[in-house]
Amino acid sequence: MTIRIESTDLTIEAVLERRPHTVWISPEMTLAGFGARLRLDPGVGPGRFERARLMFAEWVASEGAHPAPDIGPFGFASFTFDEQVAGSIIVIPEVVVASDRKSSWLIRHGAEDNEWSDSPLGTTAVKPDRPRFAGSSLPDHLWLEAVAAAIKRIEEGQLQKVVLARDHALWSKEPFVLDRVLDKLHQRFPDCMVYLVDGLVGASPELLIRRRGESVTSLALAGSARRDPDPVVDDQLGSELLASSKDLHEHALASESVERVLERVCQSLQRPNRPGLLKLANVQHLATPFAGNLTESHDVLDLVGMLHPTAAVGGTPTLDAIEMIRALEGMERGRYAGPVGIFDLAGDGEFAIALRCAEISGARARLFAGAGLVQGSVPEDELEETRIKLQAMLSALE
Amino acid sequence: MSSPPPAESRSTESATPRLGDLDPWDEALLAALERNPGERLLTLPELAEASNFSTTLLEVVIREGFLTPITEEPEPLFELSDADSLKAGLALVEAGLPLGELLDLARRTDTAMRPIAEQAIEVFARYVRDSVEANTTSDEEAVRKLVSAFTTMLPATGRLVDRHFRRLLIDGARRRLAGDT
Repeated sequence: MTIRIESTDLTIEAVLERRPHTVWISPEMTLAGFGARLRLDPGVGPGRFERARLMFAEWVASEGAHPAPDIGPFGFASFTFDEQVAGSIIVIPEVVVASDRKSSWLIRHGAEDNEWSDSPLGTTAVKPDRPRFAGSSLPDHLWLEAVAAAIKRIEEGQLQKVVLARDHALWSKEPFVLDRVLDKLHQRFPDCMVYLVDGLVGASPELLIRRRGESVTSLALAGSARRDPDPVVDDQLGSELLASSKDLHEHALASESVERVLERVCQSLQRPNRPGLLKLANVQHLATPFAGNLTESHDVLDLVGMLHPTAAVGGTPTLDAIEMIRALEGMERGRYAGPVGIFDLAGDGEFAIALRCAEISGARARLFAGAGLVQGSVPEDELEETRIKLQAMLSALE
Repeated sequence: MSSPPPAESRSTESATPRLGDLDPWDEALLAALERNPGERLLTLPELAEASNFSTTLLEVVIREGFLTPITEEPEPLFELSDADSLKAGLALVEAGLPLGELLDLARRTDTAMRPIAEQAIEVFARYVRDSVEANTTSDEEAVRKLVSAFTTMLPATGRLVDRHFRRLLIDGARRRLAGDT
């Protein structure tokens, strides 16, 4: 079956009304996938990113795609945080509607278009039930003990930084409605990358890597403060964050972990000398953008493999932090904090870190939030930070 | 992440006047505020054992300003009744209330109640203490009346607040149940 690509005048809003099964919305690209032509499991271990690329290329070859399409075909990918944990997935939809804000295309990956509706389905008629709490892998007070233990080890010099996360399990009397969740996330976090891949739905502000030919960009985030409705107080909180030695240290570790990788593969890597502020609806972050040109051929999945896990979601040193996460966190992260994004046959693509997300399956959901711990971190502050992050995701499910 | 208001701002510690610097009736009030000299005090490890709290959790409660040692010398010492308060908090957590939510409720309760407590003290000073001072003929009588008023009013206030909040909870729960099965 030849992969067919047609121009279309469908807007993304119109496409979202058709309830796509797979979604990627970023400031540069929007893709909505319908149906699942193929679901690929790249397995575990350090070779999983390369295997994902090879499996995708083999599928494209088997479909007899034309050699130089204008755009696509695309794979939607979501990888587990821990390379030793199974659950990573590549989804190739039957139909993809893609837009780069100037043009739109309809990409048919499948033999039949039975997953594609030419008319909007409208919003789901069933009134959704509210999300109901079902527990956490580690109750708050035990997570607090884990955080205190991690801070103690940091202060003893065993490592510099570790990110510990926690979860909330939710249930509902009706299945969660994914298009409502997506719409709320997109409305509330318009500057974030909004994604839906095999039940993992979220809005991430953290661009792990974007590759367009030789050009690559990334955005390191670490160090956070709450937002305040009063603009004066909000600015004050931002100023304090920019001056906080603890948060600047936490941020420096995250941005250095990105810089170390991109310096190896880029020429003229550009980054500001000091982090700026990224203000989202519920939280503000210290942010450092990176931009460079690749000196050698690395496709986007190569770069993802090199960058993940950054210190923004793992820690420093990386291996020590991963060991500590496994020992203390008391839960399985699954695809939370793993790379999520899109890629094509040319090696281009965009990947975010799967933050502010939920794993949704029918009427069950699991929300995640994490906090970076460095010397000087205070356990109850980290508990409060994760509580605020969990509330943001919870509100998208209401 | 920015912290909630620092513990210092919520601390109940304040500049305590020394006995001998005050009028006799105020000295008597101050004495009534002091702990019972015979009461047993607990060290931090003893309080942890008595309340079933971990040391980590106790340190959090202290940093948040919800638990204040009665003295810092020769080491932080706590009242036996603190263990009862801690056990009450632990009962909420063990019943399923996440600690993060409990701390958030406690911070907001503290913020809401602090100005009301200040106002209550002002009202006591203006309408009870000043009145007693104006309408008694001896220091002894003033002391007796003030201490009596204080020892009556403090537990009565506690009962009123407890009763009112309990009523708010029950009414709110009834409304919630009426609208959400």
